[in-house]
Amino acid sequence: MKTLTSNLRLFWQGTVLSYVALFAWLQPVTYMASKIVMPLTQMLFFTFLGSFATGRDNAHFYVIGNAIQITAVSGIFGVTMSIGGERWSGTLVYLFGTPANRMAMFFGRAFMHIIDGTIGVVIALLWGVILFKLDLSQTNLSALALTIFVTTLSTCGLGLLMGCLSLLTANVMFVNNTVYFLLLIFSGANVNLATLPSWMQAISQVLPLTRGIASARALIAGASMQEVLPLLAQELGIGLIYGLVGYFMFQWVEVSAKRRGTLETI
Amino acid sequence: MNFRNIFRYWRTMLTVAEVTLRHQLNDSFILFAILVQPLIIAVLALFMLKDTAANAAMFVVVGSGLTGLWSSLLFISGNSINAERWQGTLESLVGVPTPFDVIVFGKNLANVVQSLLSMIVAYLLAALFFGYSLHMDQPLLFFLSLFLSVFAFISFGLVIAPIFVMYREVQQWQNAMEYPVYILAGFLFPVLLLPGWTTPISYILPPYWAAVALHGTSTASAPLEQTLFAWAMMVLLSIIFLFIASRLFKIMLYKARVDATLDVQ
Repeated sequence: MKTLTSNLRLFWQGTVLSYVALFAWLQPVTYMASKIVMPLTQMLFFTFLGSFATGRDNAHFYVIGNAIQITAVSGIFGVTMSIGGERWSGTLVYLFGTPANRMAMFFGRAFMHIIDGTIGVVIALLWGVILFKLDLSQTNLSALALTIFVTTLSTCGLGLLMGCLSLLTANVMFVNNTVYFLLLIFSGANVNLATLPSWMQAISQVLPLTRGIASARALIAGASMQEVLPLLAQELGIGLIYGLVGYFMFQWVEVSAKRRGTLETI
Repeated sequence: MNFRNIFRYWRTMLTVAEVTLRHQLNDSFILFAILVQPLIIAVLALFMLKDTAANAAMFVVVGSGLTGLWSSLLFISGNSINAERWQGTLESLVGVPTPFDVIVFGKNLANVVQSLLSMIVAYLLAALFFGYSLHMDQPLLFFLSLFLSVFAFISFGLVIAPIFVMYREVQQWQNAMEYPVYILAGFLFPVLLLPGWTTPISYILPPYWAAVALHGTSTASAPLEQTLFAWAMMVLLSIIFLFIASRLFKIMLYKARVDATLDVQ
């Protein structure tokens, strides 16, 4: 019982402190620019581009896709900053020097970004309602909320894996940006997946977001919770796999860095 | 910026551009901004726009190349003065007899020219991977448009860089400035799709006129008069932005000397 309490405390403290101290965008103006205005303008750009390509009637396809994809801003960039930031700020050596439970420490780094990312998607959908008259009257809102939460969770799973890469390479922002932009294609946010070549569809199926976006589109079109539950279960499973791979990589990085003496390498 | 300086210091500008290119060759962020991001946007746009028109592929090649030009201008040229400050070389550059804006002009020249790679890579992608037969309808007019576009982008960048140095609160919005110009300049879709009140904003952006000229000449979708008008607007805006830049550089350097902040990180 004492170990559990101690790990929960560690989880919570790590969660709050890593978010406050290592999330580089956590200043009012920078947060507004990077987490609210940038995603909005990205959504506008792809919605106008999609409307130009397929007609204004299809605008909602792009609004929903890009609104859900916005969770990747928190999931990829935010989580990576919270893990990789330990290295840049020179605290990794202390972190790995403690006997603290690694699982609580590792997954705690993503917790605030799950909340943050969920709020980001809700804001984006509200922009869709205001600017593009996105109709949510047929939508099961609690199912949509669950979809947003599960999708954010699974994207943060990928973010945890990317965060571990930031402990290995100095070029992590290059990798992160590339993954973020590739998700714009492969997640189906902007392209109907059926129109992609089969090898691209195969990649889409092993990525987070793909099923979350499909589920959100189905729910807004009037589908029930039961209809989207299989998609959500798969989305959650994919996110957990990425998170676990990230966790094992985190452990490997710790052993490897200690052995090579590269804990403080920047 | 004094226009005579462009002719008087052209060799210096070219040397600065060469050094900048060599310096940036292995910077992964620059690689992302000028190659990877425009390439991904090109792939996405090719999938999205493939059924819209016969010349959609050329439209995407030019449009995605322009996104690379703007992103590079915003993130690389926008930080060109701050980058020197971070490296501790700003004091030396300000202290040499060559006017400082000439040096930044050379840096911007390198940034904009290297960004043209994005257009070449998008062209290869569309031709080799997507199998499009790409045909440029007015090559001479296109390359003249490209020359004027490079000049207009550099002039625009000369205004952005000192603003980012003097007003850090403006620079904090840098991440949010990328897509609005993609939208307002009509890089990948016509600005007619946008609400009418945004059109005057498009008109004062050099990237908008660059897009009009480059799209018009690459796909022969615009009459000659429209291309000539776009050229005239790019020249006019370049003159205006160079004039504003000259004032901003004076204010920035005066302020930095008075406050002794040239080497303050």
